[in-house]
Amino acid sequence: MIEQKISKLNSYFDKQISLCEQCSKKLLADDRKDEAVFEKVKANVYDIFRTIFSVAVKTGKGDSEAVRRFFILKIQQIPSNWATAYNQAKKHDDADKMQIEQIKLDTVSEIKEIFTAIWEEEE
Amino acid sequence: MTEAEAIRLFKCLSDKSRLQILKSLAIEDMYVERLAERLDITAPTVSFHLKKLADAGAVVSYKSQYYMMYSLNKEIFKTSILEILQEKSDEAEVQARRDAEYRQRVIDTFFEYGKLKAIPAQQKKERIVLEVIAQAFEFDRIYSEREVNIMIADFHDDFCTIRRDMIGEQLLDRDAKGYWRVKTECEEK
Repeated sequence: MIEQKISKLNSYFDKQISLCEQCSKKLLADDRKDEAVFEKVKANVYDIFRTIFSVAVKTGKGDSEAVRRFFILKIQQIPSNWATAYNQAKKHDDADKMQIEQIKLDTVSEIKEIFTAIWEEEE
Repeated sequence: MTEAEAIRLFKCLSDKSRLQILKSLAIEDMYVERLAERLDITAPTVSFHLKKLADAGAVVSYKSQYYMMYSLNKEIFKTSILEILQEKSDEAEVQARRDAEYRQRVIDTFFEYGKLKAIPAQQKKERIVLEVIAQAFEFDRIYSEREVNIMIADFHDDFCTIRRDMIGEQLLDRDAKGYWRVKTECEEK
């Protein structure tokens, strides 16, 4: 059953990355450069956690709980720097940086939600 | 509007979403959620764009009951592009310094111990050389042609060419009574 969950999550990451890339291209063609950059940022976050997920699967060696623990640990550790960066940007009234860090934090909380939903599905 | 402000405004305007926000605000003042709904973009993105527009001076905000309303800063859009172009450049001082350095290089090249070594072939350089020679003449004084020739001859033997070119460059003027030094725009200021 773990294989199904792995496959579902990989499909989710692939789909989100592809959607963001398409959206970014569209926005760029529509002279909305800043929003196009935001989509690329989202795609990068999905890509980072797709990689982390594959490492979690590798190190978990078929143990569902070990995969969950590894992934949840990383999803809590990594964004702490982003939250710090957001606060720093806010302090300096840097709208661009604030928006980018906020997008990263929003994307990561969406990933966490989806991961939890898929991983805790009844087998 | 300073050059830096103009650059920030133009950069800010070169985005379709921001332009659409301004177009909406040209109709009436609006709050973030209303703009988000109207333009089909998320409220945080609208807030981001509004912040940029506010920093560039394109929009202003005010509180109305529970809402933060945004309105177009019409004053800034009344400025014509020509007015922006005519604004004194922040670079003016740097450019003036470069001009002064160039001028000094030309003088050092063509003058030796106060004598003109050769008449420059390039019009721009000749103008600089002629301006230096013109400084030997006093303002508000009429000189005879002989006096002019003698004064120019102190710099270079070919006083005829130089005298003629100084008239051509409007550094000297003449009539039946004689020659006099003309004030350039800078000297008049």
